[in-house]
Amino acid sequence: MLQKKICMVGMFGTGKTCLVQRYVHSLFSVKYLTTVGVKIDRREVQSGGQPVMLMLWDLEGRDEVRNINPSYLKGAHGVLYVVDGTRRDTFEKLFEIRDLVKHTIGDVPSVVALNKSDLTDQWTLAAADERRLGSEGLSALQTSAKSGTGVEAAFQRLADATVAPTGAPR
Amino acid sequence: MIDTDAAVTLDVFGLTDRGLVRDGNEDHFLIARVNKSVEVRQTSLPSAAVAQEFGGGGMGGYLLAVADGVGGRPEGEQASERALAAMLSYMGRAATCFQSLETSEEHALLEKLEEVVRGVHADLLAEYGGATARLPATTLTLVLLAWPRAYHVQVGDSRAYVRRGGRVQRLTRDQNLGEYMVSLGAWTDEQARMASTAETLSSAIGGSELEPVVGLIDLAPGDSLLLCTDGLTKHVPDDEIAHALAEPASAEATTRKLLSDALAGGGTDNVTVLAVRTAASE
Repeated sequence: MLQKKICMVGMFGTGKTCLVQRYVHSLFSVKYLTTVGVKIDRREVQSGGQPVMLMLWDLEGRDEVRNINPSYLKGAHGVLYVVDGTRRDTFEKLFEIRDLVKHTIGDVPSVVALNKSDLTDQWTLAAADERRLGSEGLSALQTSAKSGTGVEAAFQRLADATVAPTGAPR
Repeated sequence: MIDTDAAVTLDVFGLTDRGLVRDGNEDHFLIARVNKSVEVRQTSLPSAAVAQEFGGGGMGGYLLAVADGVGGRPEGEQASERALAAMLSYMGRAATCFQSLETSEEHALLEKLEEVVRGVHADLLAEYGGATARLPATTLTLVLLAWPRAYHVQVGDSRAYVRRGGRVQRLTRDQNLGEYMVSLGAWTDEQARMASTAETLSSAIGGSELEPVVGLIDLAPGDSLLLCTDGLTKHVPDDEIAHALAEPASAEATTRKLLSDALAGGGTDNVTVLAVRTAASE
């Protein structure tokens, strides 16, 4: 079976582990779970008319982009960037993280998850921010690990992009 | 025991003790060096469970594991013994170098380790599944250290800790009812602490549920690892474990100190501690 390594990358506390838990185990943990190193889960999806095993590398979140370990990224077929929509700094840091990823593994398919969309009263991102992502060539959608909104779509979009023939939109 | 290569010196030591209350010891641990061959350095396993092959050159990797059998003796002890012996057997058959693996090789390795776990689980269920009595089962916390990368597999509530940059963190999460209920928000930490069922394993090899968790971490010289069964963590809190790992002591001294602390705290369960100290080679 086709196997694709997907790296979950984002600043500390953006909800990367919760997104994986929701996607793989259909669970949401109310307790904050710090990832140390990398936790690896997998889930089979259908993409391009064939089964694909997504190997989900949940990378530990860091306070500083420079502390993200580039060696964890090597061999990745796709990257799910995770932003906490209630913390604007995690959005601003996204572009630095993207530069680190591009520098390390090149231009691989990616999707940006604007996470915690259930916390509407604390949301800090505007339509202009999502337009900025588009202008930077980043495909984004709002997600909520708590409610499940957008989670399946985010991973499926990324899976499809990794399976798409070279030259398809990345 | 200390191994040195061009990059790093590894100091590894393990101990197990039946504690002050239990009649016997259902815990086991294993320290083996893995390269083109497998060399068992230290273990609590009986010799019959250990196929020793000595030889090989250069630093390949280390297989480090602790297992805590449950279900009462002798079955509980056999469950933990089987889990470690199966891992050792797999490593012996794999006969490969685990360093600088490609991504696909890493995935294959982790899947294989998980497959070995599921194989022991299936064997235990096949052997004891018809019994109405409490089934023998075991935890397993395993690290395959292929410097600088440490691959880990965990089932149950035996833990792995890492000390990096002066900070000690848990690499693993306990797979028990208390942790599960707290994660769902059904219990508070205090309720979990008080609940008599909190320590019931939600995942175990040979248990009703099996959910191996796999991961990895890159280490740097100066970092430390600690693997232990709950006989330690019942009596020695995380801050004291962190303090012990912060001391500039050998792996053996660290292991003996933590075992001593667990016994001083009551020693109500079997205790197993395995420590790894690393340093830059001179």
